[in-house]
Amino acid sequence: MKNEYRVAIIGGGIVGCSVAYHLAKFGESDVVVFEKDYLSSGSTGRCAGGIRQQWSSPHNVILAMRSVSLFEKLSRETDIDIEYKQGGYLVLSYDDQEAVQFEKNVQMQRELGLDVQIFTPRQIKERFPYVNVHEVRLATFCQTDGHANPHLANFAYARAARKLGVDILTHTEVVAVEVLHSGFKLFTNKGAVRSQILINAAGPYSREVAKMVGMDLPTESYRHQIMVTEAVKNFFDPMAISFSGNFYMRQTKHGHFIMGQGDIDEKPGLNNNVTYKFEKEMARKMSKIFPFLSKLRIVRHWSGHYNMSPDAQPIIGESPKIEGFYYAVGFSGHGFMLAPAVGEAIAQLILLGKTIEVDISELNINRFEKGIVREKNVV
Amino acid sequence: MVKTDFLIIGGGPAGLCAAIEASKRNVKTLIVDEGVELGGQLVKQTHKFFGHEGFYASVRGFEIAKRLISELGENVTVMKQTTVTGIYEDVITAYDREKDLVIEIEPKYILISVGASERFIPFENNYLPGVYGAGAVQTLMNQFKVLPGRRVLMIGSGNIGLIVSYQLLQAGAQVAAIVEIADRVGGYQVHADKVKRLGVPILLRHTIKKAIGEEKVEGAVVVQVDENFNMIPGTEKEFAVDVICVAVGLVPSVELAHMAGVKIEYIPELGGYVPYRDSHMRTNIRNIFVAGDLAGIEEATTAMIEGRIAGLAVSQEITGQNLGFELEKMQEELIEFRSGPFSHKVRKGLERFFPQYVRDYSKNSQRDLGPATKLRPIIECYENIPCNPCQTSCPSGAITVPGNINSLPVIDYSKCTSCGICVMKCPGLAIFMVQENYQPGKDLVVIPYEFLPLPEKGETVIALDRDGEEVAQAEILKVVKSANKTHLVYMLVPAGLTQTVRGFRIPQKAHSLVCRCEEVSVEEIEKAIDEGYTDYEELRRYLRIGMGPCGGRTCRVITLGILARKTRKNIKEIGFGTFRPPSMPIKFDSIIKGEIKDEK
Ligand SMILES: Cc1cc2nc3c(=O)[nH]c(=O)nc-3n(C[C@H](O)[C@H](O)[C@H](O)COP(=O)(O)OP(=O)(O)OC[C@H]3O[C@@H](n4cnc5c(N)ncnc54)[C@H](O)[C@@H]3O)c2cc1C
Ligand SMILES: Cc1cc2nc3c(=O)[nH]c(=O)nc-3n(C[C@H](O)[C@H](O)[C@H](O)COP(=O)(O)OP(=O)(O)OC[C@H]3O[C@@H](n4cnc5c(N)ncnc54)[C@H](O)[C@@H]3O)c2cc1C
Ligand code: SF4
Ligand code: SF4
Repeated sequence: MKNEYRVAIIGGGIVGCSVAYHLAKFGESDVVVFEKDYLSSGSTGRCAGGIRQQWSSPHNVILAMRSVSLFEKLSRETDIDIEYKQGGYLVLSYDDQEAVQFEKNVQMQRELGLDVQIFTPRQIKERFPYVNVHEVRLATFCQTDGHANPHLANFAYARAARKLGVDILTHTEVVAVEVLHSGFKLFTNKGAVRSQILINAAGPYSREVAKMVGMDLPTESYRHQIMVTEAVKNFFDPMAISFSGNFYMRQTKHGHFIMGQGDIDEKPGLNNNVTYKFEKEMARKMSKIFPFLSKLRIVRHWSGHYNMSPDAQPIIGESPKIEGFYYAVGFSGHGFMLAPAVGEAIAQLILLGKTIEVDISELNINRFEKGIVREKNVV
Repeated sequence: MVKTDFLIIGGGPAGLCAAIEASKRNVKTLIVDEGVELGGQLVKQTHKFFGHEGFYASVRGFEIAKRLISELGENVTVMKQTTVTGIYEDVITAYDREKDLVIEIEPKYILISVGASERFIPFENNYLPGVYGAGAVQTLMNQFKVLPGRRVLMIGSGNIGLIVSYQLLQAGAQVAAIVEIADRVGGYQVHADKVKRLGVPILLRHTIKKAIGEEKVEGAVVVQVDENFNMIPGTEKEFAVDVICVAVGLVPSVELAHMAGVKIEYIPELGGYVPYRDSHMRTNIRNIFVAGDLAGIEEATTAMIEGRIAGLAVSQEITGQNLGFELEKMQEELIEFRSGPFSHKVRKGLERFFPQYVRDYSKNSQRDLGPATKLRPIIECYENIPCNPCQTSCPSGAITVPGNINSLPVIDYSKCTSCGICVMKCPGLAIFMVQENYQPGKDLVVIPYEFLPLPEKGETVIALDRDGEEVAQAEILKVVKSANKTHLVYMLVPAGLTQTVRGFRIPQKAHSLVCRCEEVSVEEIEKAIDEGYTDYEELRRYLRIGMGPCGGRTCRVITLGILARKTRKNIKEIGFGTFRPPSMPIKFDSIIKGEIKDEK
């Protein structure tokens, strides 16, 4: 650890590591990442690894499309196989109103250049015979969606960033920040450091970190549970998801099925425990939709956090009040898939004063002054 | 949903005794045990037990179990063949194997007395069917009356290895040999003599190199090791056996306790990771208690007393009766038991939780570890043996063995000149020297060493603890040769390890699986650590260690050992990761069936 860096990043999840990597890739390696625990200990290491471009808001579609083109290169660029697979996302709708909305979404998505199909229940059955389509209205499908191993993607960015000279310090917690006339002074459990630029990529702790510089971020963390089965032969290519059905599921490269759902009764706050209620609800629901699951065994069940923003879209940008303070937070359950594009955009914003591939200006905090338009495609 | 006042998870001696105390006081109690019969380890023991009469000494193990079961009152419900699979935020789950369904339990108080699981060692082909832990062999043989095979190779000469060998012979199997890597028998001499008398060779300084076979075990290669535990090429012996039985120790089964939020601490003296508990067996969570081998690897006798204490403490709270007198009596029994020299380790481990007392055994050992910055001897001579060279050799009269020669030596550090003579002279190799903060971040430990070749100055070795377990890498500072062949090896260890490191070995390359489910080898782990994955959780995620159905039961401890050694950290500083439910794989169907039954 040096005494001073140009850029300090709080959070060694995929977002923090992606920002660090892109900064270094564009020539700025005077960067430090602080991670209070170990790499991927936060939401990233607990997430499902789904990468989807089918969103209801154009911002998310654009960011996700950019991310996909970066994910496609990531294994090669970093020399770590992140188990990326473009098996498509099958989005099932069980609700008439939602089905109508899906058709509108698809139109918008196609206008943005995404190749999305709409399937009737019969077409679903033909293509994915192992799905029970009972009560399904329709599904949308995008072949270039997919999934990757979140730990490996997190490690890939970290390792590549380290190779380019970034300091990534694990077990180093930022406990307080002093805003200086120019730059910041960070107090960690391993000593103090100065930086000109400070980035909040603290995932579930985004609000606490913002408080350290006196900013109130409108983010809140909610527990999400998730579980995995024993491994079986690979046969299930897509990631299946439903907002009206409240579930998602995919098969990993090693053959395990990972799945989860949301819980509207969940209270905000940090909680890493798990409930048996979740297993019961999942067992019933999932073995109905995917009958092959009923004989499979659950091997592990854990939980992580969605860092929610008021409109379920990320909050990204530089603080209008505190110069040099950036944030990429509030990913609302889809920060893994957006991390490549967001990391690239933030790096460009810092180094060039503007972004090149995607416009993220609408994602800054001042958007809430205009009112809230919620992203609907979330579990 | 099953509601009960007192849930006892595990009906071994500890759980049974807790249930007896609770049932005497009319507490509604439920015992859940995954075995076919209650009794835990007792059921498998056909030999007479050590201990004291009040706790069934000289009664055979399975007889003790019968007697305990007969004492259970009517308010005790028993669920056999049922495994508790998770302690969740909302409920506790148990999987009933016979009915193939999951039961939900809501208790007011919980005793976790699930005992221990077996340690495991890596060797080539150790995943072949026919490689068993000693516990599995005992279960098959004594409980199911099935011989695991005809001819067995036993690895380990501790009490369990010796007893299981004896039991195998009794059951009609052959024991080709007992292999012991150390240079002496680990267990009690009496047990060793028993098997020797039956013609079983005990191969000291030998270890298993590999299992032979395609589909299952057909043989084993055993090899001699040198003074540094390195295999000596050319000394391989082949044994035609169909079973390899591994009996290299036990580790407390902390999974459920950890899931429930109980604080887990690394206390090697108690078997490794153990749950925190107070003298009433209560953990940091008010309504959760632990007892028996889970609370620290010990004996059936202490497991029974601990179980009674937990049962009394819970009864006292539920019924409001004052059981202070009964509790006091049981505490006294424990103290009585643990006063002997063989209980020293356990007492020392328990000191971490609360003070320990000894009775009748007035022999005081050296308590004060001396001034930290001085190079000074640490005398670890705790067994009362007739011996005093330490006293007679010390030129400055710092060490005394007061009164009888059987007394334990004590040292006056103010008189000690740090000469090291006592370290060389002690025939028990029970004296070491240490100096904290010799260099910034480094402590000095001096080990009496009687092996050849001697390590060289500047060489990196693997520091070992009192159990021969790897704790860190160490650097040889100097080697002082002695005419009496007890050489002094001065080595630098990471700070904080002066009371941990008591040996070392010269590193060797192994090629064996650490995680059998995901087939991860020692080399892969070492390579990943070199690449910067220096947390257990990072390694787990990178290499998939422990991601298989066993949930990391066998590979976790081995991985942590490698990690500690490679990162030169004390194993206590390394987080040991998380345990997640379910503790055994559970079918979707079994969950649904349990729910349907609940609804009816
Ligand atoms: C069950 C579940 C399933 C999900 N599935 C998906 C999915 O399929 N697709 C998808 O795109 N997203 C998914 N997500 C969301 C995704 O996990 C997150 O949006 C994403 O991982 C956020 O990454 P991050 O780097 O911002 O946060 P994190 O990975 O949480 O990283 C933040 C890090 O900051 C560290 N930190 C915090 N405070 C400090 C401090 N003061 N000092 C030092 N370090 C600090 C934390 O320890 C943490 O490691 C899921 C989330 C959950 C919980
Ligand atoms: C070969 C051998 C010889 C021994 N000889 C002696 C001796 O001579 N004298 C002496 O004092 N001690 C001896 N011991 C030690 C003694 O047997 C143990 O210390 C004692 O049995 C520990 O008791 P316990 O109740 O803690 O655990 P255990 O006896 O191991 O009982 C634990 C119980 O919990 C159950 N269980 C575990 N997990 C679950 C779960 N998730 N759900 C439900 N149930 C579960 C198991 O089925 C088991 O019945 C010997 C041990 C062995 C192996
Ligand atoms: S180190 Fe020397 S002086 Fe100290 S006790 Fe041993 S013999 Fe005596
Ligand atoms: S010589 Fe060694 S074994 Fe004997 S009393 Fe002294 S320290 Fe103990």
